[in-house]
Amino acid sequence: MDVTIAILVTGLTNGALYALATLGLSLVWGSMGMLNMAHGSMLALGGYMVFTVAVSLGLPVWAGFIGAAAAGAVFGGLLYLGVVRPLLKAGGPGFETSVMIATVGIAIGLENALLLVYGGRPLPQPFAVPGSVQLGAGVMPWLNAVIVIVAFVVMAVMGYLIAKTKMGRAIRATAQNRDAALLMGVPVERTYLQVLGLAGALAGICGVLLSSITQLSPTLGADPMLKAFIMCVVAGLGNLPGAVIAAFGLALIEAAVQFALGARWGFPVLLMLVIAILIWRPNGLFGRAQIRRM
Amino acid sequence: MAEHKTPALAVDGLSAGYDGPDVLHGISLTVPKGQIVTVVGPNGHGKSTLLRTISGLTRLRQGRILAEGREIQKLRPHQVAAAGIAHVPQGDLLFPEMTVYENLLMGAYTTPVAETVEKRLDFVYGLLPRLKERHGQIASSLSGGERRMVGIGRGLMAGGDVMMIDEPSLGLAPLVIEQIYEVIGQLRAEGRTILLVEENPARVAHLSDVMHLLDDGRIVWSGAPQDLLEREELLSTYLGG
Repeated sequence: MDVTIAILVTGLTNGALYALATLGLSLVWGSMGMLNMAHGSMLALGGYMVFTVAVSLGLPVWAGFIGAAAAGAVFGGLLYLGVVRPLLKAGGPGFETSVMIATVGIAIGLENALLLVYGGRPLPQPFAVPGSVQLGAGVMPWLNAVIVIVAFVVMAVMGYLIAKTKMGRAIRATAQNRDAALLMGVPVERTYLQVLGLAGALAGICGVLLSSITQLSPTLGADPMLKAFIMCVVAGLGNLPGAVIAAFGLALIEAAVQFALGARWGFPVLLMLVIAILIWRPNGLFGRAQIRRM
Repeated sequence: MAEHKTPALAVDGLSAGYDGPDVLHGISLTVPKGQIVTVVGPNGHGKSTLLRTISGLTRLRQGRILAEGREIQKLRPHQVAAAGIAHVPQGDLLFPEMTVYENLLMGAYTTPVAETVEKRLDFVYGLLPRLKERHGQIASSLSGGERRMVGIGRGLMAGGDVMMIDEPSLGLAPLVIEQIYEVIGQLRAEGRTILLVEENPARVAHLSDVMHLLDDGRIVWSGAPQDLLEREELLSTYLGG
C-alpha cells in the first residue's frame, strides 16, 4: 500500500514535470517543424533565474517564478530572432536538420554561460515547500503536491491560450497550413516568435519546479529533455494533449518499474516500451502520418 | 468630365516565376469594382501563379500590382490580405484540424471588431446554410463540396474589397460544381468584386463581365464572354497549334 502511494507520488510529480517540458518541445515542433535541442538548457536557465531573483536580489519566490518565465520567454524570442529566423529565411528543405544542429550549439553555449556565471558547484534552490502529509500508509511531501498543482495551472493557462484566444487560433492555423494562414493575414513571423516565447516561458517555469526536487546545475535539463523528447515521439510529434497524456503515463510506468525492479531499470524499460509502441504505431499513439497536429 | 474610376485591383506588366524561368510574362489586367473578371486557360499555364503572385506568395519579378490605386507588389502576403485582397486558394487550403466555425473565424483574422465579424458570419451562414449545420465539425471530415464552401465562406469573412477565387470547380462532381457556381452567381448579384480563375470557359461565361484567355503565361485574348466562345484562339490554346 505504501509502495502504491510512493509510486503515485513519484509518478505524478515526474509526470507533471515531464508534461511541462514535453509541452514546450511539442508546441515548437508542431508549429514550425523545429526540434529545439536547446530546450533542456532553457530549463536550467529558469532554475538559475529563480536563484538570482529570490536569493541574490532577495525578492519573494513568486517573483522568481515570474523572472524565470520571463527569462525563458526572452531567451526563446532571441533564439527565434537570432537563429531560427535566419535559417527559415535561407529556405530550402534542410531547415529541420539545420535548426536541430544550430540549437545543439545554442544549448552548449547557454549551459557554459550558466557555468561561467554561477559556477560549477550545485546551488540550493530557494523554492521549497516544507512538510508532508500522511496518505494512508504512505507519505506525500507538500512540495510534490505544489509541483503538480502549479504544473496543472500552467497547462490549463496554455490550453486556454491555444484553444480559445485569437493568438492561439493563429498559432494552430500556422501549424496546420502556413500558406493559408498568411492568406488570412496572419503575420506568421510574429506567430513563430510568440510560439518560441511561450515555449521558453514554459521551460522557465518547468526549470524552477524541476530544480526544486533536484538541485541547480547547468545540465539539470538534460535528462528531462531526453525523456520529454521520447514522450513527444510516443504521443506523435506536435500533439499537445497527447504529449501530456504520454508524459503522465510513461512517468507512472517509470516510477512503478523503479520501485519494483530497482532504479536502474527505469530508463531501459521506458526505452523498450517506446520501441514497442513505435513498432506498433510508427506515428506515435495519437499521431497521424504527415499531419502536424495542434 | 466624368472622373476616371480607380479599379479595385489592377495588374500591370506582371512577370513572375518560381526557381526557374518566368511562368508569367507581362500580364496586365484590371478588375473594376462590382465586376467579375475571369481568367481562363488550360492547367499549368500560370492561372494559379497569377493569383499567388498578387497575394505575395510567389515572388514578383517585374510589374506593378495596385489595390484601389495603391501599389501593393512589395507587401508580404499577410499585408496583402490586410489590404483587402481575399484569396480563396486552389484546393481550399483549409485548416484541417479546426472546426468549420474556427476556419471561418480565421478568415476574419484582420478584422478587429467583434460585431463586424458576427455580421459577416450571419451573412456567410445565410448564403451557405450547410456551414451553419456543420459549424462544429472538423474541416478534414467534410465532403469535397463542403470544404469548398468553407473556403469560399472563409474568403467572404475577410470582408475584403476583392475576392480572388482559384478554380472553385476543381475536383468536384458536376452537381456540386453547379451549387458552387450558384453561390458565386449570388455574390455577383450582390455586386461583389471578384477575380475568378477557371479552366473551363463555358462554365463561367454567363457569370463574367470580362474574360481573359491565358496561354503559356501570356494573355492572348481579352473581351466579353460571349465573344470568347467563338474565337479560334480558344481552340488553339486548349488543343495546341
